[in-house]
Amino acid sequence: MQTAERRADKNKTKNEAWRDPHAEAYVRIENVTKRFGDFVAVNNVSLKIFKGEIFCLLGGSGCGKSTLLRMMAGFESLSSGAIYLDGQDMAGVPPYDRPVNMMFQSYALFPHMTVEKNIAFGLEQEKGLTRSDIATRVTDILEIVKLESFAARKPHQLSGGQRQRVALARSLVKRPKLLLLDEPLGALDKKLREATQFELINIQEQLGVTFIVVTHDQEESMTLASRIGVMNRGEIVQIGTPTEIYEFPQNKFVADFIGSVNMFEGTMIEDLPDHVRIKSDELGSTIYVDHGISAAPGAIVYTAIRPEKINILRTPPADTTENCVKGVVKEIAYMGDVSIYLVRIDTGKTIRVTLPNVERLSDDERIAWDETVWLSWHGSSPVVVTQ
Amino acid sequence: MKTQGLFSKTMLGLGFVFLYVPILSMVFFSFNNSRLVTVWDAANSPTLKWYGRLFSDGAILSAAWLSIQVAAMTATGAVILGTLAGLVLSRFGPFKGRALLQGLTTAPLVMPEVITGLSMLLLFVSLEQLLQFMFGWQFDRGVATITIAHITFTMAYVTVVVQSRLASFDDSLEEAALDLGARPAKVFFRITVPLILPAILSGWLLAFTLSWDDLVVTQFVSGPGSNTLPMVIFSRVRLGVSPVVNALATIMVLIVALGVVLSAFLMRRQEQRRKREEQMAAAG
Amino acid sequence: MRTAGARTGTRESPGRLGPIWTFLFRYGPPRWTEYVLNNWSGQRLVIAIPYAWLLLFFLVPFLIVLKISFAEFSPLGRPPYEPVFQWLDEGALQIKLLVGSYVYLFNEPLYVSAWIYSVKVAFFSTIFCLALGYPMAYAIARAPPTQRNIFLMLIILPFWTSFLLRVYAWIGLLKTDGVINNVLQYFGIIDAPLAMMNTSFAVYIGIVYSYLPFMILPLYSNLEKHDLTLLEAANDLGAGPVRSFMRVTLPLSMPGVVAGSLLVFIPAVGEYVIPSLLGRTDQLMVAKLLSDEFFLNRDWPRASAVAIAMLLLLVVPIMLFQHFQNKELQAAKR
Repeated sequence: MQTAERRADKNKTKNEAWRDPHAEAYVRIENVTKRFGDFVAVNNVSLKIFKGEIFCLLGGSGCGKSTLLRMMAGFESLSSGAIYLDGQDMAGVPPYDRPVNMMFQSYALFPHMTVEKNIAFGLEQEKGLTRSDIATRVTDILEIVKLESFAARKPHQLSGGQRQRVALARSLVKRPKLLLLDEPLGALDKKLREATQFELINIQEQLGVTFIVVTHDQEESMTLASRIGVMNRGEIVQIGTPTEIYEFPQNKFVADFIGSVNMFEGTMIEDLPDHVRIKSDELGSTIYVDHGISAAPGAIVYTAIRPEKINILRTPPADTTENCVKGVVKEIAYMGDVSIYLVRIDTGKTIRVTLPNVERLSDDERIAWDETVWLSWHGSSPVVVTQ
Repeated sequence: MKTQGLFSKTMLGLGFVFLYVPILSMVFFSFNNSRLVTVWDAANSPTLKWYGRLFSDGAILSAAWLSIQVAAMTATGAVILGTLAGLVLSRFGPFKGRALLQGLTTAPLVMPEVITGLSMLLLFVSLEQLLQFMFGWQFDRGVATITIAHITFTMAYVTVVVQSRLASFDDSLEEAALDLGARPAKVFFRITVPLILPAILSGWLLAFTLSWDDLVVTQFVSGPGSNTLPMVIFSRVRLGVSPVVNALATIMVLIVALGVVLSAFLMRRQEQRRKREEQMAAAG
Repeated sequence: MRTAGARTGTRESPGRLGPIWTFLFRYGPPRWTEYVLNNWSGQRLVIAIPYAWLLLFFLVPFLIVLKISFAEFSPLGRPPYEPVFQWLDEGALQIKLLVGSYVYLFNEPLYVSAWIYSVKVAFFSTIFCLALGYPMAYAIARAPPTQRNIFLMLIILPFWTSFLLRVYAWIGLLKTDGVINNVLQYFGIIDAPLAMMNTSFAVYIGIVYSYLPFMILPLYSNLEKHDLTLLEAANDLGAGPVRSFMRVTLPLSMPGVVAGSLLVFIPAVGEYVIPSLLGRTDQLMVAKLLSDEFFLNRDWPRASAVAIAMLLLLVVPIMLFQHFQNKELQAAKR
């Protein structure tokens, strides 16, 4: 998660337009609903996206993110609501008249045209560009995506990563103010994906285009996005920066969807402005949270603790009454950089703990299967949600 | 599995024998000197006599020329209308009367030809009457009516071919073109058509063959003096076998065989080249 | 579809000529084109072109046939029927509908036997075609891909050669001094030539022969899509080859069977060329009767009635066929 934090830091120096209540949104989605027969794909979504952002719509399949994107591009009509791009209502505006371009998941490169012609196609539709203008712009964009020597090739003569860059070049060459990307990195293998993620960010900053990215891959969204909009069942469930989404989920769904989480159901036994105590039967002990939360007295709350925020101790800590539980190590997955431990506690629940492999330990020094351990965490680690 | 495979393979072999013996026998006996065609005249055969007669037979040659012209015009018209219909049915959203259009485009595929022929003739007769009444025009049935009739029933085949090609087409290509600023007509001509060109071409050939070969509908809608090749052949073979017809058949079989083999060969070459290029790309 | 007249009806001053005529005279062809291009979206135009053609040249003719089937035969008329709709001098419209032609069709023994015979021949030809075509399609679908393409090419090749000539080829094989009789007599299998021409047997052969590709192709395209692991699973669970075929392959191939059968049965009922060249002279099929009524007797009303009756007979199979066509297209879209 180090990259996400670095990204968040970068944002602090940039213009965080969404924090300014008076800022003009570049894209305004207002109460947009889309129905296919009885099925509601997008349910009353409202959203503001600002210039220069990389905004990620994140969600599982069927959550409506692709439909929303297609509505912005003009390929689906709205059942109700309105979409404004740069202040203009896009109702009835066909895709070829909109100031946006889209990069398709399948890249949609024209198989019967060379790379050069593919990229030039969009420019040829614009009025007022001479042949040499077009040629110059094509060459320029090929340099930016580092495909200069591939201009005469046809799509089937390119590898997956090269095709993706052609698709990107083709949409960027028209210098759109807004670029919509549908699962841009989905078809690439892991290493290529990581490299391309950073390339995308660089290109975006270089050209100053606003990106809206649709993805189901939360790691991708954490790396790329300046803000993420988590979607579930056609609704936006939470909007925030990657850090906000990860560290401060507002509900069970977001907490569970992003990364792994241990969730405990419980009731509040002490509710004060500066701290809260929760009794959890699932956990078999009390949770102490060092900040106040707003919930009705006696309400059922859910406490989320991230695996990396839990410590494994071989000897019981001083205070075992709160934020501490005993258990037996049932599974260990060695991932190289971290190890994942599944610890079964007395109530029968399994807790997931992630520890970085900081030292090179020998086998008998490491934590072993069936070993009894104590899990503990700091009072600032739990996040409490009420839904 | 093995016995089942054997049974179906045997049937396949028998089936091919069944399919090809008549054709091969026709070809074989075209070189037979005897007028009786199937009684081999060993003394004077094989001979090219009948081919000579064929090429000096004015009726057949002029009918063949007429058939070619009609078939070419039909194929072109059928391809234009059929592609439009195929496009409409697979790409356009629901519109009023869509079901009827779907029905109208698939019905000719199975409609018995006597029904199509009779109905089109009666239409032409009614049109004749109408035009005569309104404008005093008089027109006779002939090449025009034959072509119109042929286009009507062959366009169904083109529609089916184009429709099934478009169904398996990735329509994100067309969306990408729209997104890049091209209007729908431009997208159709610069993206869709080049990519479905093989289907359009095979539709053209299909319509050509069907028109060239048609007898029943043509008999109904033709006029005096417009005899197509099938009409001439039919009138000859009703009376029995005719060696000149054997010669004609052999030539047609040769042309078709050449065409099919050539196209298969070309397609194979293209496939291989494509595979090689894709492998090169994957390697980097 | 709105017509031009409907749009401008209120605009034009009502002269002696109706609004449509005024419109037509005021705006020549270039203006029409301009009007259409301005007021009709491109999409509607694209839909309109094939639609208009099919309506005019395919649908309207059926309506005309229907009309004439109710007309009265007038042997000396040009055309040979009394007008169905007639404006009388008093300004009344006289509609004369005779059902005599239809009554005749269902009573006259010649016709009744022809209907039955046509359906019988078409039905059994379909069965025979299926019996030969299914194993062939199966063998091709299970063959390795390179062989498959060659086989398909060999199946399609006869289809591209003339239908008429291929039927003609059978004359040469089946006649009394034809190839088959010669060969059988040469080998001493028979003493006297068999009479195979102008029999029902010849018609069956002709239909099966000509329509075999139409049966094989839909069957093949269905069988080719079968997931062979299903059969492996069936075998693994204990079903022998016959059993797995009956319980797995055959049911899955039903859409192909139906499509192929309809593609053979429906046109076969109305087949004209094959019975003319190879068939019996004492028992005719319906298409020949229609042709004779029309060309020989010049009885247009009766010929039209035959056509309508044939259509009614086939309307259910035709709709079935279209239903299956649509399903195949939907499946291909996935």
